[in-house]
Amino acid sequence: MNSFKRDKKEEEDGGSQFLNLEKTTVLQEARIFNETSVNPRKCTPVLTKLLYAINQGETLSAKEATDVFFAMTKLFQSKDAVLRRMVYLGIKELSSLADDVIIVTSSLTKDMTGKEDTYRAAAIRALCSITDATMLQAIERYMKQAIVDRNSAVSSAALVSSLHMSKLAPDVVKRWVNEAQEAVNSDNVMVQYHALGLLYHIRKSDRLAVTKLVARLTRMSLKSPYAVCMLIRITAKLLEEDDEAGGNDSPYFNFIEACLRHKSEMVVYEAAHAIVNLKRTTSRELVPALSVLQLFCGSAKATLRFAAVRTLNQVAISHPAAVTACNLDLENLITDSNRSIATLAITTLLKTGAESSVDR
Amino acid sequence: MEGYLLEPTLYTIKGIAILDNDGNRILAKYYDKNIFPTAKEQKAFEKNLFNKTHRANAEIIMLDGLTCVYRSNVDLFFYVMGSSHENELILMSVLNCLYDSVSQILRKNVEKRAVLESLDIVMLAMDEIVDGGIIIDADSGSVVSRVALRNDDIPIGEQTVAQVFQSAKEQLKWSLLK
Repeated sequence: MNSFKRDKKEEEDGGSQFLNLEKTTVLQEARIFNETSVNPRKCTPVLTKLLYAINQGETLSAKEATDVFFAMTKLFQSKDAVLRRMVYLGIKELSSLADDVIIVTSSLTKDMTGKEDTYRAAAIRALCSITDATMLQAIERYMKQAIVDRNSAVSSAALVSSLHMSKLAPDVVKRWVNEAQEAVNSDNVMVQYHALGLLYHIRKSDRLAVTKLVARLTRMSLKSPYAVCMLIRITAKLLEEDDEAGGNDSPYFNFIEACLRHKSEMVVYEAAHAIVNLKRTTSRELVPALSVLQLFCGSAKATLRFAAVRTLNQVAISHPAAVTACNLDLENLITDSNRSIATLAITTLLKTGAESSVDR
Repeated sequence: MEGYLLEPTLYTIKGIAILDNDGNRILAKYYDKNIFPTAKEQKAFEKNLFNKTHRANAEIIMLDGLTCVYRSNVDLFFYVMGSSHENELILMSVLNCLYDSVSQILRKNVEKRAVLESLDIVMLAMDEIVDGGIIIDADSGSVVSRVALRNDDIPIGEQTVAQVFQSAKEQLKWSLLK
């Protein structure tokens, strides 16, 4: 009776094979991975269920994880693309739980250097999740090649993985600076962003190198808005640390100010945020940044209004007088449908408002 | 002024979640070990987040020191979380990418049943968008092209057709070789 009821419920609720999954049942089903001929149509749903169960917070013991990990490695026999990619996900998910995960190193290295482009990027990311400092040297040659690969997905995957790996093996990753340098010139927006992120991470303790990097990149006008946001942050950090760079006509400050006229809203906001948060910014220098934020206050997008009013709220602490120019816009936001925006608008007005506006 | 300058780092995303209309987790990932280290804490946060957001369609909220941007459709809620000082527009671009990718994978049929039916592809898409807190790709077109590995004209899940096609191609090849 009970099982009948459950069947009926499953029929009503499509895809409910995922509801009330039991870890033990899934692990049992995962035994089909061991069958001699791999059937992707049967194995993919089982592997999906396993990953779903882990995502739901089921915890596997080291033994359970190791057993299922080894069963999963058998799936490398199949050439089915979805199954292969799900195996990569499984490797990443279990790499911290199972023992002896390095067993898949050669399979992954093969995929990473193989012809199939859809595998390569994902294989790199999976490979780096099972690699430790000593093994990284063994795959160093492939990593360097992948960073400058023509396929942007491969290049991005290698750069991102390098950054993750730099926690374990900073000295090895440091040697890849030339490749990262080359990737910064990429036409692909994400590759450029990832390359800059890695490059900065490698060089951040070397002040001279960072200044050189910034000087070069601010002139070259990066294509990626994400990379520009990153560059603004680096530049702002330089300005904050360095009093000498802070003269009235600092090229760094001019760069950030020029970004207020960028075509991407993301960059414009990043620049305005940096300017108002710099210690050295004078009231006069604040004006263009504030007028941008004022403009955002009237945006149709809630996120943009939120970002603007939150930043104005910060400015109101240090430069209340400068924010009074935006008081009218802030008053409009008091009745905003988003409560966070309304609250922020009120607290900002309390800091800037004179008696006259409180009356209204 | 108090330094709220943002740290130049690629690690911008703290978490991503897809919840159903009861606030239960369909898929979620947290990338910072310092926030919500256990599944129990994560789910408590998700419940709280859901309660605060499921009625008001307000796009953005600050909760537990995180900035969360969100979007919903029929019976699904999509969330992207970042630190409270993060550039909100960057978080939004990731959310839009997540939503648009899922929508394209499910052929505009963005609802729980469809997500569960293509759960493997949705998992792969999430993996292509953020890796360990770093945004890998924020362009839904390129995310989908990387994960919708089956031939585009064939509905996802109907591999048989693809297999027939494949074997037909193979046969042709053999007949040419003869």
